[in-house]
Amino acid sequence: MKNKILNIKNLSKSYDAFKVTDKITIDLHFDEIHALIGPNGAGKSTLIKQIVGSVKHDIGSIILDQEDITDLTDVERAKIGISRTFQVSSIIPQFSAIDNIVLSLLDKSNKTFQLFKSIRNNKELYSNAKKILKEIELLEKSEISASDLSHGDRRKLEVGLALAMDPKVFLFDEPMAGLDENGTNMMINLFKKIKSNSPILLIEHDMDAVFALADRVSVINYGKIVATGTVNEIRQNELVRDVYLGYEI
Amino acid sequence: MIIEKTFNKWILVFLFLIPVLGFIFEEPYYITLTTKVVILGIAGIGLNLALGYCGLISFGHAAFFGLGGYVTGILSFHALNSELMFSWPFVSSGSSDMLVIWPIVILSSAFLALIIGLLSLRTTGVYFIMITLAFAQMLYFFAISWPNYGGEDGLSIYMRNSLPMINTMDPLNFYFICLCWLLTVIFISAKLINSSFGMAFQAIKQNEERVKSVGIETFKVKLLVFVISGTITGLAGSLYTDLNRFISPSVLNWQMSGEIMVFVILGGIARLYGPLVGAAFFIVLEQTLGSYTENWQFWLGLILILEILYVRTGILSLFEKKLKYEK
Repeated sequence: MKNKILNIKNLSKSYDAFKVTDKITIDLHFDEIHALIGPNGAGKSTLIKQIVGSVKHDIGSIILDQEDITDLTDVERAKIGISRTFQVSSIIPQFSAIDNIVLSLLDKSNKTFQLFKSIRNNKELYSNAKKILKEIELLEKSEISASDLSHGDRRKLEVGLALAMDPKVFLFDEPMAGLDENGTNMMINLFKKIKSNSPILLIEHDMDAVFALADRVSVINYGKIVATGTVNEIRQNELVRDVYLGYEI
Repeated sequence: MIIEKTFNKWILVFLFLIPVLGFIFEEPYYITLTTKVVILGIAGIGLNLALGYCGLISFGHAAFFGLGGYVTGILSFHALNSELMFSWPFVSSGSSDMLVIWPIVILSSAFLALIIGLLSLRTTGVYFIMITLAFAQMLYFFAISWPNYGGEDGLSIYMRNSLPMINTMDPLNFYFICLCWLLTVIFISAKLINSSFGMAFQAIKQNEERVKSVGIETFKVKLLVFVISGTITGLAGSLYTDLNRFISPSVLNWQMSGEIMVFVILGGIARLYGPLVGAAFFIVLEQTLGSYTENWQFWLGLILILEILYVRTGILSLFEKKLKYEK
């Protein structure tokens, strides 16, 4: 238990008779990247939404760093250290890239309710935001409106927003979708670097990236975890080959 | 944006010049008219904070405008008639001193906005519109059925409330009092918009789910914006009662909420000076078209339709210089 930062037990969600997630038990260790793979509609994103609290679960429990967060709201969970990216880029479109990052830094720095001080004059916040933009290779585009960024740059910005929160765990929902090779390599290197501070639960369809990054992999199908293991164990699991990977790996 | 900023400076110059010219040419009517623009502009700036910058489409801001008006009218009515207003927990016969009235108006408007906000901000979209409308209509019907203060006929106060060492009955003096409030409200709004709090509420308008996901308590942010917005509009209601020396339930009606919304839309949503320009445009239309036809609002409707179809972001956007990276 002590080496687990996130421990999810029997998490279930049904819409009428349809079980989106069915008694999912999964955990995340310190220093690891745990990939969650599975076909479209298997329940991966719903699981993320349940962990962050934007979708209410029917039964089950979520323990973060030995604290039961099952009954906390989505905002409370974000405050205590769950940071996420969205499957479809979710940014503040009319803000510049740097302002998006600064927004993400507000709560940690207790600046949200600072009413009359110009945010632009807060050199510390903007300097921290620049460091994050540099990490995600968007520093040169810091003043560009987020809505004018390319799809790949928006994906990077999503990750930047999560990084800015300096959370206990990251939940990344297809962060590499639509990225070119350079972008994917940048993300892989970045994730390897940050996982020691904040472990990552990673949903990703890019299997090369998953196998390059993951310490453990869980496979979800029809809302159930059908296998969990190291990359090699998962590669050789026949059930997993049947439901998701196929035979071309 | 450079052109818009220059235009905004010209608006301020005009606001100083027009009433002075009215005074020089002995046309006090124009001073009163400009005072009305300034007061309605303040009400619009209040709504713009909630609607324009935070995306809270309140259709009930008449409640705050009317409350500010009625608080002013009632306090003044008792003071001028030397009538006891209440005797518990302390004895009060109202007040006709603006320095007493304004803080009471500010506190009562803020309190009403807090109550309405606490209940209505749990809803979104059309439900939020309807619940804010319902609150304002409740107050409207309450005012109509309150005979002590004129009921449907409204309440007259025969003298404008006073301010030490200033003759508030002088139209020019009263105009500059209102102008001071306008500048204060613009200053406060500008500070809010450019603050980290402003960043949070402007982000909520665009993507509330994302703002929640970075740990910001969006309910509290929206509530505070709503309270500030209602308070500013309430203050405008107070000045409006003093301008007309009369208050009636019509300022609590949904039509008033609609008019304040029209100022914001006409001038430019989420533009600091937008509601002021919108109010000025509205009053000019009322005065010019109104002298030709009783149905001048038909033409106002037509202009609104054309604006929404072709300009969309308000009159002030015509003066906007697009930045390099904007499409």
